[in-house]
Amino acid sequence: MIPDLEQALDRISRVRGVRGSMYVAADDGIVVAHLLMETVNGKAVAALAASLARKVEGAAAATGAGRVRFLQMDAADGTLLIAPAPRDLLVVTLADPRVNVGLCRLEMMRAAEAAA
Amino acid sequence: MSEDIRALSAVLAADPASLVYVDLAEALRRRGDFEQALRVANGGLARHPEHADGFDCVGRIHVGRDDLPRAREAWGRALAVAPDHLGALKGMGFALYRAGDARGALAVLERALAGHPADDGARRALDTVRRALGIQSAAPPADRPVEQGARVAVETPTPVPPSPAVVPATAPGAPAVPAAGAAADAAAELPPVFRGLEGATADILLFDDRGLVVAGGLSGADGADVSALAAAGLAGVSSEAGRTAQYLALGAWTTIVAEADRANLVLAPVGPGALLLVRRDRGVPVGLALRVAERAQAAASAWLARQGA
Repeated sequence: MIPDLEQALDRISRVRGVRGSMYVAADDGIVVAHLLMETVNGKAVAALAASLARKVEGAAAATGAGRVRFLQMDAADGTLLIAPAPRDLLVVTLADPRVNVGLCRLEMMRAAEAAA
Repeated sequence: MSEDIRALSAVLAADPASLVYVDLAEALRRRGDFEQALRVANGGLARHPEHADGFDCVGRIHVGRDDLPRAREAWGRALAVAPDHLGALKGMGFALYRAGDARGALAVLERALAGHPADDGARRALDTVRRALGIQSAAPPADRPVEQGARVAVETPTPVPPSPAVVPATAPGAPAVPAAGAAADAAAELPPVFRGLEGATADILLFDDRGLVVAGGLSGADGADVSALAAAGLAGVSSEAGRTAQYLALGAWTTIVAEADRANLVLAPVGPGALLLVRRDRGVPVGLALRVAERAQAAASAWLARQGA
Protein backbone atom coordinates (compact mmCIF):
# COMPACT_ATOMS: atom_id res chain seq x y z
CA MET A 1 0.00 0.00 0.00
CA ILE A 2 1.21 3.54 -0.73
CA PRO A 3 2.57 4.95 2.59
CA ASP A 4 0.53 8.18 2.46
CA LEU A 5 -2.68 6.31 1.90
CA GLU A 6 -1.80 3.79 4.57
CA GLN A 7 -1.18 6.55 7.08
CA ALA A 8 -4.42 8.25 6.16
CA LEU A 9 -6.41 5.06 6.66
CA ASP A 10 -4.60 4.42 9.90
CA ARG A 11 -5.65 7.83 11.24
CA ILE A 12 -9.27 7.11 10.40
CA SER A 13 -9.09 3.70 12.07
CA ARG A 14 -7.90 5.32 15.30
CA VAL A 15 -11.28 6.99 15.74
CA ARG A 16 -13.21 5.02 18.31
CA GLY A 17 -15.94 2.93 16.73
CA VAL A 18 -14.45 2.71 13.25
CA ARG A 19 -14.61 -0.83 11.88
CA GLY A 20 -12.64 -0.13 8.77
CA SER A 21 -11.84 2.34 6.06
CA MET A 22 -10.71 2.11 2.48
CA TYR A 23 -10.04 3.81 -0.79
CA VAL A 24 -12.42 2.66 -3.47
CA ALA A 25 -12.54 3.31 -7.21
CA ALA A 26 -15.66 5.43 -7.66
CA ASP A 27 -16.51 4.00 -11.07
CA ASP A 28 -16.51 0.30 -10.38
CA GLY A 29 -16.42 -0.07 -6.61
CA ILE A 30 -13.08 -1.90 -6.57
CA VAL A 31 -10.99 -1.68 -3.41
CA VAL A 32 -7.77 0.28 -3.95
CA ALA A 33 -6.43 0.21 -0.38
CA HIS A 34 -8.00 -0.82 2.89
CA LEU A 35 -7.57 -1.17 6.61
CA LEU A 36 -10.38 -3.29 7.99
CA MET A 37 -11.39 -5.39 10.94
CA GLU A 38 -11.39 -9.07 10.02
CA THR A 39 -15.15 -9.27 10.23
CA VAL A 40 -15.71 -6.60 7.58
CA ASN A 41 -16.27 -7.74 4.01
CA GLY A 42 -14.23 -5.11 2.22
CA LYS A 43 -15.31 -6.00 -1.30
CA ALA A 44 -18.99 -5.77 -0.40
CA VAL A 45 -18.56 -2.49 1.44
CA ALA A 46 -16.64 -1.03 -1.49
CA ALA A 47 -19.11 -2.10 -4.15
CA LEU A 48 -22.17 -0.99 -2.21
CA ALA A 49 -20.64 2.30 -1.12
CA ALA A 50 -19.68 3.18 -4.69
CA SER A 51 -23.14 2.30 -5.93
CA LEU A 52 -24.82 4.34 -3.20
CA ALA A 53 -22.53 7.29 -3.88
CA ARG A 54 -23.48 7.23 -7.57
CA LYS A 55 -27.18 7.17 -6.73
CA VAL A 56 -26.90 10.04 -4.30
CA GLU A 57 -24.82 12.05 -6.74
CA GLY A 58 -27.56 11.78 -9.35
CA ALA A 59 -30.31 12.58 -6.89
CA ALA A 60 -28.42 15.55 -5.48
CA ALA A 61 -28.14 16.97 -8.98
CA ALA A 62 -31.90 16.58 -9.38
CA THR A 63 -32.50 18.60 -6.22
CA GLY A 64 -30.16 21.36 -7.33
CA ALA A 65 -27.76 20.67 -4.48
CA GLY A 66 -24.77 20.22 -6.75
CA ARG A 67 -21.83 17.89 -6.34
CA VAL A 68 -21.73 15.76 -3.20
CA ARG A 69 -18.74 16.35 -0.92
CA PHE A 70 -19.58 14.02 1.94
CA LEU A 71 -22.14 11.32 2.43
CA GLN A 72 -23.36 9.73 5.64
CA MET A 73 -25.78 6.83 5.90
CA ASP A 74 -26.93 6.05 9.42
CA ALA A 75 -28.49 2.70 10.19
CA ALA A 76 -29.60 0.96 13.36
CA ASP A 77 -26.41 -1.09 13.61
CA GLY A 78 -23.82 0.96 11.81
CA THR A 79 -22.81 4.05 9.91
CA LEU A 80 -21.40 4.26 6.41
CA LEU A 81 -19.42 7.38 5.52
CA ILE A 82 -18.23 8.28 2.04
CA ALA A 83 -16.04 11.15 0.87
CA PRO A 84 -15.15 11.68 -2.79
CA ALA A 85 -11.41 12.01 -3.34
CA PRO A 86 -9.22 13.02 -6.29
CA ARG A 87 -8.40 10.51 -9.05
CA ASP A 88 -11.98 9.21 -9.08
CA LEU A 89 -11.59 7.62 -5.69
CA LEU A 90 -13.85 7.44 -2.69
CA VAL A 91 -12.78 7.30 0.93
CA VAL A 92 -15.19 4.91 2.62
CA THR A 93 -15.53 4.25 6.34
CA LEU A 94 -17.73 1.73 8.12
CA ALA A 95 -18.31 2.46 11.77
CA ASP A 96 -20.50 1.83 14.79
CA PRO A 97 -23.76 3.77 15.04
CA ARG A 98 -22.48 6.10 17.78
CA VAL A 99 -19.16 6.94 16.16
CA ASN A 100 -17.96 10.54 16.31
CA VAL A 101 -18.95 11.48 12.77
CA GLY A 102 -17.35 14.90 13.00
CA LEU A 103 -13.95 13.41 13.81
CA CYS A 104 -14.31 10.73 11.17
CA ARG A 105 -15.24 13.36 8.64
CA LEU A 106 -12.12 15.39 9.41
CA GLU A 107 -9.85 12.38 9.02
CA MET A 108 -11.63 11.28 5.87
CA MET A 109 -11.19 14.72 4.33
CA ARG A 110 -7.48 14.51 5.12
CA ALA A 111 -7.43 11.07 3.57
CA ALA A 112 -9.08 12.46 0.46
CA GLU A 113 -6.38 15.11 0.21
CA ALA A 114 -3.73 12.43 0.60
CA ALA A 115 -5.00 10.77 -2.56
CA ALA A 116 -4.26 13.85 -4.68
CA MET B 1 -48.01 -14.18 -21.24
CA SER B 2 -46.20 -17.40 -20.33
CA GLU B 3 -47.67 -19.02 -23.48
CA ASP B 4 -46.25 -16.13 -25.52
CA ILE B 5 -42.88 -16.71 -23.93
CA ARG B 6 -43.06 -20.42 -24.65
CA ALA B 7 -44.02 -19.78 -28.27
CA LEU B 8 -41.33 -17.16 -28.76
CA SER B 9 -38.76 -19.41 -27.11
CA ALA B 10 -39.71 -22.20 -29.50
CA VAL B 11 -39.29 -19.90 -32.49
CA LEU B 12 -35.91 -18.73 -31.26
CA ALA B 13 -34.80 -22.29 -30.51
CA ALA B 14 -35.71 -23.31 -34.07
CA ASP B 15 -33.93 -20.31 -35.55
CA PRO B 16 -31.35 -18.81 -33.16
CA ALA B 17 -30.62 -16.05 -35.67
CA SER B 18 -34.24 -14.86 -35.62
CA LEU B 19 -34.95 -11.26 -34.64
CA VAL B 20 -37.78 -12.58 -32.49
CA TYR B 21 -35.27 -12.46 -29.64
CA VAL B 22 -36.39 -8.85 -29.07
CA ASP B 23 -40.02 -9.93 -28.62
CA LEU B 24 -38.99 -12.70 -26.26
CA ALA B 25 -36.77 -10.39 -24.21
CA GLU B 26 -39.56 -7.83 -24.10
CA ALA B 27 -42.08 -10.44 -22.92
CA LEU B 28 -39.69 -11.55 -20.19
CA ARG B 29 -39.09 -7.95 -19.18
CA ARG B 30 -42.82 -7.30 -18.86
CA ARG B 31 -43.09 -10.35 -16.66
CA GLY B 32 -40.39 -8.85 -14.45
CA ASP B 33 -37.80 -11.50 -15.31
CA PHE B 34 -35.12 -8.92 -16.02
CA GLU B 35 -32.06 -11.15 -15.78
CA GLN B 36 -33.44 -13.73 -18.21
CA ALA B 37 -34.62 -10.92 -20.50
CA LEU B 38 -31.13 -9.48 -20.49
CA ARG B 39 -29.57 -12.85 -21.34
CA VAL B 40 -31.93 -13.28 -24.28
CA ALA B 41 -31.38 -9.73 -25.54
CA ASN B 42 -27.61 -9.94 -25.23
CA GLY B 43 -27.65 -13.29 -26.98
CA GLY B 44 -29.54 -11.74 -29.87
CA LEU B 45 -27.25 -8.75 -30.00
CA ALA B 46 -24.24 -11.05 -30.18
CA ARG B 47 -25.65 -12.23 -33.51
CA HIS B 48 -26.98 -8.85 -34.58
CA PRO B 49 -24.60 -6.25 -33.18
CA GLU B 50 -26.16 -3.45 -35.26
CA HIS B 51 -29.77 -4.11 -34.26
CA ALA B 52 -31.14 -0.88 -32.76
CA ASP B 53 -34.37 -2.54 -31.56
CA GLY B 54 -32.28 -4.95 -29.55
CA PHE B 55 -30.36 -2.16 -27.82
CA ASP B 56 -33.61 -0.30 -27.21
CA CYS B 57 -34.98 -3.39 -25.52
CA VAL B 58 -31.82 -3.72 -23.41
CA GLY B 59 -32.32 -0.10 -22.32
CA ARG B 60 -35.81 -0.86 -21.05
CA ILE B 61 -34.61 -3.98 -19.28
CA HIS B 62 -31.94 -1.98 -17.46
CA VAL B 63 -34.59 0.53 -16.36
CA GLY B 64 -36.45 -2.40 -14.83
CA ARG B 65 -33.21 -3.39 -13.07
CA ASP B 66 -32.93 0.17 -11.77
CA ASP B 67 -29.65 0.59 -13.62
CA LEU B 68 -30.05 3.88 -15.45
CA PRO B 69 -26.39 4.27 -16.49
CA ARG B 70 -26.52 0.97 -18.40
CA ALA B 71 -29.94 1.85 -19.82
CA ARG B 72 -28.52 5.10 -21.07
CA GLU B 73 -25.54 3.29 -22.57
CA ALA B 74 -27.86 0.86 -24.39
CA TRP B 75 -30.00 3.65 -25.80
CA GLY B 76 -26.84 5.47 -26.82
CA ARG B 77 -25.75 2.43 -28.81
CA ALA B 78 -29.19 2.17 -30.40
CA LEU B 79 -28.96 5.80 -31.47
CA ALA B 80 -25.46 5.30 -32.80
CA VAL B 81 -26.91 2.70 -35.15
CA ALA B 82 -30.23 4.43 -35.85
CA PRO B 83 -30.14 8.13 -34.86
CA ASP B 84 -33.92 8.55 -35.30
CA HIS B 85 -34.98 5.44 -33.39
CA LEU B 86 -38.12 6.60 -31.58
CA GLY B 87 -37.94 4.15 -28.68
CA ALA B 88 -34.30 4.93 -28.03
CA LEU B 89 -34.87 8.68 -28.22
CA LYS B 90 -37.72 8.50 -25.72
CA GLY B 91 -35.72 6.16 -23.55
CA MET B 92 -32.72 8.46 -23.61
CA GLY B 93 -34.98 11.39 -22.74
CA PHE B 94 -36.33 9.43 -19.80
CA ALA B 95 -32.86 8.46 -18.60
CA LEU B 96 -31.54 12.00 -18.83
CA TYR B 97 -34.54 13.39 -17.00
CA ARG B 98 -34.24 10.83 -14.24
CA ALA B 99 -30.55 11.68 -13.93
CA GLY B 100 -31.43 15.33 -13.39
CA ASP B 101 -30.46 16.54 -16.86
CA ALA B 102 -33.76 18.10 -17.89
CA ARG B 103 -32.07 20.22 -20.58
CA GLY B 104 -30.52 17.15 -22.14
CA ALA B 105 -33.87 15.36 -21.98
CA LEU B 106 -35.52 18.34 -23.66
CA ALA B 107 -33.11 18.23 -26.60
CA VAL B 108 -33.54 14.49 -27.11
CA LEU B 109 -37.33 14.56 -26.83
CA GLU B 110 -37.55 17.49 -29.23
CA ARG B 111 -35.59 15.36 -31.67
CA ALA B 112 -38.00 12.47 -31.10
CA LEU B 113 -41.04 14.65 -31.74
CA ALA B 114 -39.47 16.31 -34.77
CA GLY B 115 -38.97 12.91 -36.35
CA HIS B 116 -42.27 11.46 -35.16
CA PRO B 117 -44.72 14.36 -34.78
CA ALA B 118 -47.73 12.06 -34.34
CA ASP B 119 -46.30 10.20 -31.36
CA ASP B 120 -48.36 11.08 -28.28
CA GLY B 121 -45.89 9.50 -25.88
CA ALA B 122 -43.06 11.71 -27.09
CA ARG B 123 -45.33 14.75 -26.95
CA ARG B 124 -46.45 14.03 -23.38
CA ALA B 125 -42.91 13.42 -22.22
CA LEU B 126 -41.73 16.60 -23.91
CA ASP B 127 -44.54 18.63 -22.36
CA THR B 128 -43.63 17.30 -18.95
CA VAL B 129 -39.97 18.21 -19.32
CA ARG B 130 -40.87 21.63 -20.69
CA ARG B 131 -43.12 22.30 -17.71
CA ALA B 132 -40.33 21.24 -15.38
CA LEU B 133 -38.09 23.78 -17.08
CA GLY B 134 -40.76 26.47 -17.10
CA ILE B 135 -41.13 26.38 -20.90
CA GLN B 136 -44.50 26.60 -22.64
CA SER B 137 -45.86 23.19 -23.66
CA ALA B 138 -45.56 21.97 -27.24
CA ALA B 139 -48.60 22.62 -29.41
CA PRO B 140 -50.18 19.54 -31.00
CA PRO B 141 -49.91 19.14 -34.77
CA ALA B 142 -52.30 21.46 -36.61
CA ASP B 143 -53.99 18.56 -38.35
CA ARG B 144 -54.71 16.64 -35.15
CA PRO B 145 -57.32 17.57 -32.57
CA VAL B 146 -56.17 17.78 -28.98
CA GLU B 147 -57.39 14.73 -27.11
CA GLN B 148 -59.25 15.34 -23.87
CA GLY B 149 -56.68 13.42 -21.83
CA ALA B 150 -53.83 15.37 -23.35
CA ARG B 151 -55.54 18.69 -22.58
CA VAL B 152 -56.01 17.70 -18.96
CA ALA B 153 -52.41 16.61 -18.74
CA VAL B 154 -51.22 20.00 -19.96
CA GLU B 155 -53.48 22.10 -17.80
CA THR B 156 -53.13 20.11 -14.60
CA PRO B 157 -49.61 19.13 -13.61
CA THR B 158 -50.64 15.75 -12.30
CA PRO B 159 -47.56 13.68 -11.54
CA VAL B 160 -47.20 10.68 -13.84
CA PRO B 161 -45.98 7.57 -12.05
CA PRO B 162 -42.31 7.37 -12.94
CA SER B 163 -41.75 3.83 -11.76
CA PRO B 164 -39.55 2.30 -14.42
CA ALA B 165 -40.85 -1.15 -13.66
CA VAL B 166 -44.41 -0.09 -14.38
CA VAL B 167 -44.31 2.59 -17.01
CA PRO B 168 -42.55 0.76 -19.81
CA ALA B 169 -44.80 -2.24 -19.24
CA THR B 170 -47.96 -0.22 -19.74
CA ALA B 171 -46.55 1.90 -22.52
CA PRO B 172 -43.92 -0.17 -24.30
CA GLY B 173 -41.16 1.92 -25.66
CA ALA B 174 -42.60 5.07 -24.20
CA PRO B 175 -41.03 5.72 -20.82
CA ALA B 176 -42.91 8.48 -19.07
CA VAL B 177 -41.25 11.22 -17.12
CA PRO B 178 -42.70 12.68 -13.96
CA ALA B 179 -44.68 15.81 -14.43
CA ALA B 180 -43.94 19.07 -12.67
CA GLY B 181 -45.42 22.52 -12.64
CA ALA B 182 -44.55 25.94 -11.35
CA ALA B 183 -43.51 26.02 -7.71
CA ALA B 184 -46.43 28.21 -6.75
CA ASP B 185 -48.93 25.89 -8.40
CA ALA B 186 -47.44 22.89 -6.71
CA ALA B 187 -47.45 24.58 -3.32
CA ALA B 188 -51.11 25.45 -3.75
CA GLU B 189 -52.04 21.89 -4.70
CA LEU B 190 -50.16 19.95 -2.07
CA PRO B 191 -51.34 19.61 1.54
CA PRO B 192 -49.63 21.91 4.09
CA VAL B 193 -48.02 19.09 6.06
CA PHE B 194 -44.96 21.05 7.07
CA ARG B 195 -46.65 24.33 7.99
CA GLY B 196 -44.51 26.19 10.49
CA LEU B 197 -41.24 24.74 9.28
CA GLU B 198 -38.95 26.94 7.23
CA GLY B 199 -39.04 26.00 3.56
CA ALA B 200 -42.28 24.05 4.03
CA THR B 201 -43.18 24.17 0.35
CA ALA B 202 -39.82 24.78 -1.28
CA ASP B 203 -37.24 22.78 0.68
CA ILE B 204 -39.10 19.88 2.28
CA LEU B 205 -40.52 17.07 0.22
CA LEU B 206 -42.54 13.99 1.17
CA PHE B 207 -42.68 11.31 -1.49
CA ASP B 208 -43.22 7.59 -1.82
CA ASP B 209 -40.76 4.85 -2.63
CA ARG B 210 -41.96 4.80 -6.24
CA GLY B 211 -40.88 8.41 -6.64
CA LEU B 212 -44.32 10.02 -6.45
CA VAL B 213 -44.71 13.33 -4.65
CA VAL B 214 -47.00 13.17 -1.60
CA ALA B 215 -46.62 16.55 0.08
CA GLY B 216 -44.31 19.51 0.54
CA GLY B 217 -42.30 20.74 -2.40
CA LEU B 218 -38.88 21.47 -3.77
CA SER B 219 -37.99 24.38 -5.98
CA GLY B 220 -34.98 24.79 -8.23
CA ALA B 221 -32.58 27.70 -8.30
CA ASP B 222 -34.86 29.51 -10.77
CA GLY B 223 -37.92 29.01 -8.58
CA ALA B 224 -39.41 26.30 -10.78
CA ASP B 225 -40.87 23.28 -9.06
CA VAL B 226 -38.51 20.29 -9.23
CA SER B 227 -40.43 18.12 -6.76
CA ALA B 228 -41.28 15.34 -9.20
CA LEU B 229 -37.79 15.25 -10.64
CA ALA B 230 -36.22 15.09 -7.19
CA ALA B 231 -38.68 12.48 -5.93
CA ALA B 232 -37.93 10.25 -8.90
CA GLY B 233 -34.19 10.44 -8.28
CA LEU B 234 -34.39 10.09 -4.52
CA ALA B 235 -36.59 7.00 -4.62
CA GLY B 236 -33.65 5.21 -6.22
CA VAL B 237 -31.40 6.34 -3.37
CA SER B 238 -33.80 4.83 -0.86
CA SER B 239 -33.78 1.41 -2.47
CA GLU B 240 -30.00 1.52 -2.81
CA ALA B 241 -29.66 2.45 0.86
CA GLY B 242 -31.94 -0.43 1.82
CA ARG B 243 -29.86 -2.85 -0.20
CA THR B 244 -26.61 -1.53 1.27
CA ALA B 245 -27.87 -1.73 4.84
CA GLN B 246 -29.17 -5.23 4.30
CA TYR B 247 -26.00 -6.62 2.68
CA LEU B 248 -23.76 -5.07 5.31
CA ALA B 249 -26.04 -6.20 8.16
CA LEU B 250 -26.45 -2.64 9.37
CA GLY B 251 -30.13 -2.97 10.22
CA ALA B 252 -32.67 -0.50 8.91
CA TRP B 253 -31.24 2.74 7.59
CA THR B 254 -32.48 5.81 9.43
CA THR B 255 -31.00 8.83 7.66
CA ILE B 256 -28.81 9.75 4.74
CA VAL B 257 -27.03 13.08 4.86
CA ALA B 258 -25.39 14.45 1.73
CA GLU B 259 -23.24 17.56 1.99
CA ALA B 260 -23.09 19.05 -1.47
CA ASP B 261 -21.70 22.17 -3.14
CA ARG B 262 -24.84 24.25 -2.82
CA ALA B 263 -26.96 22.53 -0.19
CA ASN B 264 -27.07 19.87 2.49
CA LEU B 265 -29.66 17.15 2.02
CA VAL B 266 -31.23 14.93 4.64
CA LEU B 267 -33.21 11.91 3.50
CA ALA B 268 -35.19 9.82 5.98
CA PRO B 269 -37.88 7.16 5.80
CA VAL B 270 -41.31 8.04 7.18
CA GLY B 271 -43.02 4.73 7.89
CA PRO B 272 -43.34 2.06 5.24
CA GLY B 273 -43.10 3.33 1.69
CA ALA B 274 -42.75 7.04 2.40
CA LEU B 275 -39.63 9.20 2.42
CA LEU B 276 -38.74 12.68 3.44
CA LEU B 277 -36.19 15.07 2.02
CA VAL B 278 -35.07 18.22 3.79
CA ARG B 279 -32.77 20.58 1.91
CA ARG B 280 -30.88 23.35 3.64
CA ASP B 281 -28.33 25.85 2.39
CA ARG B 282 -24.72 24.72 2.54
CA GLY B 283 -24.11 27.23 5.33
CA VAL B 284 -26.65 25.59 7.65
CA PRO B 285 -24.82 23.13 9.92
CA VAL B 286 -25.61 19.49 9.26
CA GLY B 287 -26.61 18.99 12.88
CA LEU B 288 -29.27 21.68 12.56
CA ALA B 289 -30.52 20.25 9.28
CA LEU B 290 -30.89 16.91 11.03
CA ARG B 291 -32.95 18.50 13.80
CA VAL B 292 -35.24 20.12 11.24
CA ALA B 293 -35.55 16.78 9.48
CA GLU B 294 -36.60 15.14 12.74
CA ARG B 295 -39.38 17.70 13.18
CA ALA B 296 -40.46 17.31 9.58
CA GLN B 297 -40.38 13.54 9.96
CA ALA B 298 -42.68 13.75 12.98
CA ALA B 299 -45.06 16.08 11.16
CA ALA B 300 -45.15 13.84 8.11
CA SER B 301 -45.66 10.74 10.18
CA ALA B 302 -48.58 12.30 12.06
CA TRP B 303 -50.14 13.60 8.84
CA LEU B 304 -49.86 10.22 7.12
CA ALA B 305 -51.45 8.56 10.14
CA ARG B 306 -54.36 11.01 9.92
CA GLN B 307 -54.79 10.11 6.27
CA GLY B 308 -54.88 6.45 7.21
CA ALA B 309 -51.84 5.90 5.00
